[in-house]
Amino acid sequence: MAAIEGEVKNESGKLEFSLDVPFPSSREAVIALRSLSPDREPRKGGIEKELTLSGSTLSVRWRADEARILRVSVNSFLDHLSLVLETMEMFGPPVSQ
Amino acid sequence: MSLRFMGHRKDTVCINVYLLAFSAAMPVVIGFEGSANKIGIGIIRDGEVLSNPRRTYITPPGQGFMPSDTARHHRAVILTVLKEALEQAGLKPADIDCVAYTKGPGMGAPLVTVALVARTVAQLWGTPLLGVNHCIGHIEMGRLITRADNPTVLYVSGGNTQVIAYSQRRYRIFGETIDIAVGNCLDRFARVIKISNDPSPGYNIEQMAKKGSQFVELPYTVKGMDVSFSGILSYIEDMSHKMLSSGQCTEEDLCFSLQETVFSMLVEITERAMAHCGSQEVLIVGGVGCNLRLQEMMGVMCKERGAKLFATDERFCIDNGAMIAQAGWEMFRSGQITELEDSWITQRYRTDAVEVTWRD
Repeated sequence: MAAIEGEVKNESGKLEFSLDVPFPSSREAVIALRSLSPDREPRKGGIEKELTLSGSTLSVRWRADEARILRVSVNSFLDHLSLVLETMEMFGPPVSQ
Repeated sequence: MSLRFMGHRKDTVCINVYLLAFSAAMPVVIGFEGSANKIGIGIIRDGEVLSNPRRTYITPPGQGFMPSDTARHHRAVILTVLKEALEQAGLKPADIDCVAYTKGPGMGAPLVTVALVARTVAQLWGTPLLGVNHCIGHIEMGRLITRADNPTVLYVSGGNTQVIAYSQRRYRIFGETIDIAVGNCLDRFARVIKISNDPSPGYNIEQMAKKGSQFVELPYTVKGMDVSFSGILSYIEDMSHKMLSSGQCTEEDLCFSLQETVFSMLVEITERAMAHCGSQEVLIVGGVGCNLRLQEMMGVMCKERGAKLFATDERFCIDNGAMIAQAGWEMFRSGQITELEDSWITQRYRTDAVEVTWRD
């Protein structure tokens, strides 16, 4: 379901990772974005995570100093995403606004 | 003909207005709790608990629960528990007026797991969201169940130990632990002598303590209005194996002695807080609060002072979803709402950080 663009090292020496998650509609994508955004990364520094929306696709972009920190953050994001998706499947579809 | 038709329509409008007012006056709130090793989801309508299913993550004897394992446990069962909560209440998502969840304090990973589901269903169902302080949840549930009006509250659990009294829109902390919680002291003692964690270490200590006959003197550490349990734990950790292997005392004696010592300390600071506030009511909440020996000792103190003791059983003392729904219901009715962008969880969240907008 998700398109992984992979891990690259940019000029600044930071590791980057990005992920595109397509949703059935922009409504679901917005819900996922707003459920997944509020909590900050548990560790301070060493990693940045950015969530953006374009249409019905949720995009996530990471920049990290170390592979270990990046892996932990990506893994935990995927766990959280799968919980949100499963919740939507079981208790959706969203009511009309 | 046309006049009668209009009259009929007018009636319909009136009924609709009445129904709207009715549902707004009796909001149905669902509460999600998962700050420690229990995951619970409860539904409350106007002070009535419609459902309150719960699961406990139980570790083998000698082991505590770690944040990531606990989060994995909650993750595995939360949607089943949510389904149960709705089914047992006989409600559909459309009947829910507000979604409340524990914002903190507690363990980060389990809190996030539960908050994610709460945020998602609140959006799916088009209801407002409310982040609740876990300690406030315990206090409001205790007040609802016991009908205690303005009690001095002893909040005792695996993560918290506080004596609280209400004054001027805050639940103010009169005394608290300066290191570990009383329940943490009991849980870790249980690990030392490999007492089972099923249904809970505290329950098993309580049962074993009934068979204790010899009192082993332990450090008694009340410091003004505060208490300390880490020294008692270290002491009992060091001496227990020596005393047990030499036959100086039994495991039951140690359970008995530990309970008597730490509960005496709690009764002492609760009594002092009552004297400060001129209070004639005590409410015990939190997981350790369902210990009948603690209730008995507190009862003796209350009787001497002519005060009244209020306590609840394990359904509502131990972490549960309904307590978050109840605190959420009070907050919701007083006009509070948590915006999604402000719905981050927090591991530290003091009881006195919350403005109590629902009491005079």
